[in-house]
Parts: sequence; C-alpha cells; structure tokens
Amino acid sequence: MLNLYLFQILNGLGLGMIYFLIAVGLTIIFGLLNFVNFAHGAFFLLGAYICYTAVSLTGNFWLALLIAPLVVAALAWVIERLLIQRIYHLPHMFQILVTLGIALIIQEASVMIWGPVGKSVAVPELLRGVLVVGDFVYPYYRLFLIVFSGLVGLGLWLLLERTRFGALVRAGSESTETVSLLGTNILRLFSMTFALGVALAGVAGVLFAPLRGAQPFVGPEILGIAFVVVVIGGMGSFSGALVGGLLVGVVQSASLMIYGAMAVVILVRPYGLFGRA
Amino acid sequence: MSEKNPLPFAKTQSKAMLLWVLAVLIGLPLILPSATLASEILIFAMAALACNLLLGYTGLLSFGQGIFFGAGAYCAALLMIHLQWGLFTALLGAAVAGGFLALLVGALAIRRTGIYFVMLTLAFSQMAYFVAYTLSDWTGGDNGLLSVPRPQVRIGDTVLLSLADARAFYGFVAVLFLLIFIGARRVIASPFGSTLMAIRENETRASAIGYDTRHFKILVFVLSGAVTGIAGALYAMLLHFVPLSNIDLAMSENILIMTIVGGTGSLFGSLLGAGSIVLLGDFLSDLWPRWLMLLGVILILVVIFMRGGLWGGLASLFDKVRRSRKASVVNKEHVL
Repeated sequence: MLNLYLFQILNGLGLGMIYFLIAVGLTIIFGLLNFVNFAHGAFFLLGAYICYTAVSLTGNFWLALLIAPLVVAALAWVIERLLIQRIYHLPHMFQILVTLGIALIIQEASVMIWGPVGKSVAVPELLRGVLVVGDFVYPYYRLFLIVFSGLVGLGLWLLLERTRFGALVRAGSESTETVSLLGTNILRLFSMTFALGVALAGVAGVLFAPLRGAQPFVGPEILGIAFVVVVIGGMGSFSGALVGGLLVGVVQSASLMIYGAMAVVILVRPYGLFGRA
Repeated sequence: MSEKNPLPFAKTQSKAMLLWVLAVLIGLPLILPSATLASEILIFAMAALACNLLLGYTGLLSFGQGIFFGAGAYCAALLMIHLQWGLFTALLGAAVAGGFLALLVGALAIRRTGIYFVMLTLAFSQMAYFVAYTLSDWTGGDNGLLSVPRPQVRIGDTVLLSLADARAFYGFVAVLFLLIFIGARRVIASPFGSTLMAIRENETRASAIGYDTRHFKILVFVLSGAVTGIAGALYAMLLHFVPLSNIDLAMSENILIMTIVGGTGSLFGSLLGAGSIVLLGDFLSDLWPRWLMLLGVILILVVIFMRGGLWGGLASLFDKVRRSRKASVVNKEHVL
C-alpha cells in the first residue's frame, strides 16, 4: 500500500518535472517581456511532433532531444522578430491575442503536416525496462525524466544567476528601461529570452512524447496546466515553477484535483506560494 | 482594454443603430440560404455581445465564456429532457446556471487582476471541460447530449407558436436578441455602465473615487454569464444536441475572436463579428477542415492593423467620407 503511494508520487515527479520546464519557460518570458505566451502549449506540441519526425527519420531519440528544441527556438525567434516585436507598444491584451493566433496557426499546421491522429514515439532503447529494488518497480524512463529535467533546470538556474545574459534578463525583469538606457540592445535580449523560454517548452514536448505520444490537440490542455502551475507557484518565480510543477504532477492522477488546489491557493495566497505582490 | 475607445460616434447615432440592428435581423433570413444559419449567427452574436460587455466595456479579457455557454446548453437540455420544463423556464434555468457559474469563476478570478485574471479564466475553462467530460452520465461525455427538444412558445396550455420550423425558431431568437441588445445598451448607458468604463480606463482611479470595483466586475461577469448561458441554451435547441465542444476552450476562444474581429467598442460590432466568423466557418469548413488556421491569421491581422475591429474600420471609413464631404463644401464656399 505504501509502495503504491510512493510509486504514484515518483510517477508524478517525472511528469511534474516536465510541467516545471513548461512553466519556467512561461515564467521567464513573462518576467522580462511582461506578457503571457498563449502559444506556449503550441510550441510544446511542435516539440513533440518534431521529436516524432526526427526519431522516425534517424531512429535516434537523443538527436531528437537536441534538434527539436533548437528548431522550435529558431521558429520562436523568427516569430518574435517578425510579429511580436511589432506589438510591444500595445497593451498586454493584444500581445496575448497575437500569441493566441499563433497557437491556432501552429496547431492547425501540425494537423495538416502530421495528420489528426496522434503519433507515438518509442522510449529510447537505453531507457527501456524497469528499475527493481526489492518489490519496488520504477521505469528507467521516468527516472531519466527526473534526472534530465533536473539537469536542465540546474543549467537554466546557472545561466540566469551566474552569466552576463542571466544578469541582463534579471535586471530587465526589474526595469526594462534602465537596462535599455545602460546600453543593452533590449530588443535582442527580448528575442533571445523568448526563444529560450519556448525552447524549454520544446524540450518538455520531446520528453513528453515517449510518455503520451504527440497529440494534435494537447496544446490547450498543456497551456491550462502550465497556468495552474504558475498560479500555484507564483508568476516570475523559478522555485515557484519547480514546486508548483511537482505539486501538479503528483496531484495530477486525480486530474480535477489540480484545479481544486489552484482555487485553494488563490483563496489563501492570492499571489501564489512563492509569488511577490 | 486600456486603449481609448476608438469610435468617433458612439452616442450620436444611437437610434440609427437600433434601426441597423432591426434591418440586419429582418435581412439575415432573406439573404442567407437557410434560417438555421441565420439563427446560429444571432446566437453567437448574443454570446459575443456578452463577451463585449466584459472586454469592450470593462476591459476584462475572459477565456471563460465557453464555460457559461456550455453550462447554459447542458442545463437547459437536462431540464427539458428530464423534467420536461418549458421553453421560457428552461431558458431561465440556463441564464441562472450561466450567471451562477460566472459568479463562482468571477469571484475567484477577480481576486487577481491583469494577466493572472486571464490565466485563471483559462484554467477554469479547462476545468469545466474536464468536469463535463467526467460527468458523462449526465452530459454524454464525448458523444454529447442527444435528442434535446425544442419546446413550443406557450402561455399556460395555449400554444402560441411552434418552433419546429427553422424560420419560426429564427423569429424567436431574433426577438430575444433584440431584447438582449436593447437591455445591454440600457446597461451601458446607465451609471452602472459608466462605472464599468471608468474601470476599463483606470481601475485604480475608479476605486480611489470610492467605487468598489470588485463588486462591479463580479456583477458584470454574472450579467455576461447569464446572457451567454441563454445563448448556449438556444444553441442546444437549434442543434437538438449538446456536443462536448460547447464547453471546451475552443468555444471560449471562438466567442472571444468574434468579439474582437467585430470590434470591442460597440455592441453592433459583436453582431458583425459573429456574423462574419460564422459565415466564414460555414463557407470554409466543408472546403478546408483546417480553416481555424485562417482564424488565427485573421486574429493577428486584426490586432496589428485594425484594432477597432470591423466596426472600428467601418466607423473610421464613414468618418473619413463625412469629413472629406465637409472639406469639399468648405472649399466651394471659398471659391464662391
């Protein structure tokens, strides 16, 4: 019985780390660019589909894990330059609406390219099978999810806290104008941050593909979950995204419960567990 | 919306506007190939109008309109199927269901402003979808709720009008739309409406003057939810069926896109927006199943090039024509 709970929790942790990657990307973009990327779920979807194509072409999951986020990030970079940069001067509502439009286009384009039926991606050979400790069984792939996402999270943390780029992103989140006046090309910083945040969604999409496959209409669901994570954890907070993601991942087994958890957090701590007013 | 109302003649032509609406209501079934399509336009125009009360007049971007639409549809359908409720009571039930859910969602989501509010409405929308999906004994789940009746218009035991005919049903929907349109205009013209617009322009200032902005926002949310619920119920009667898609996020997005494409500054814009999107969908969905992609493109184009929507575009066009006419008159006077 205890094992069952432990298994549930560990299972949830794997999924939760994926949610963390999605939410932290959303949070970084929001922190600097000050708008919520409604196309985040669509970029996640694209990551999963590109993973499928890369795996079916090369048979190599690891290559897909490298390529898919890069492709997604490149696309995000282009979209930011061509489209989103034109509307930074408008109220946030319009930025949300443009990203909603982008989400619709990506989703429908994915259906056109990959068809309306989901595609499945096999777990890479290296990670098939299960870990057995006593009477406790755990799939290697879930273990890999936790470790790999943890490493990505660590790398991201180092990038934000220890590099010049990270310092600029953090400073820009506090005051975009000051950073711009100090001589940084703020528009380039915006593009890079948007691409980085979206790349994280792409990584999450790739990692998700062997679990559930690439489903054409999963975008809104993922977006909704990411919002729940961010509302629980607090927007603009790295640790909030981590704790919120894990919490939602663990509770997810009863899928309606995450919304209940969200409602409780709004009532008790309206700015999220780690959020600032 | 924090941008200024882009419309040059909001008040001056209020009577003329009503005539325009009447003209559209009468013209629609004559121009369109089927009365069913015309009814669909009006039903979505109702939902867009309710969305416009939030977005255009209070500045609240809600991704939760599908919740109220779906709730109204399910509620009315269940009341008619299981309890044999009549037309008006079922519609009233749908309005209450939509309004009540809007109260719940609103009360929670309005605790946060700006971007969080938007995200919360979307999260609740997802939640409503899962609830409807889970309660498949009641909602039919993926298969939808089948054999929804379309009751007669009756008072006591006297049947006044059977709605089985598509044109009769259109007439009923049109009358209801007109009433809701007039009611919404009354609301906007009232002190309550002015307060909503004050909240849209500057919420901090509105609350500094002494208005409890949260109460106002929740109230307009309930109003919007109730109207959207009625629209949902009518849609269920139109189709004789409540598909699960009535309550999913795409429905919220559609209603929102209709509102924005039509123009957020005017209630008539919602009619324009719903009309053009429903017609576009009807025309394209057979030819090109992925036409939603075009909807995304249109949304982006409207945001970048035509933020006033169709109505704003028309209004500024009229304005230009009028000004150039005036200018030419002035010039002639100079010459003479």
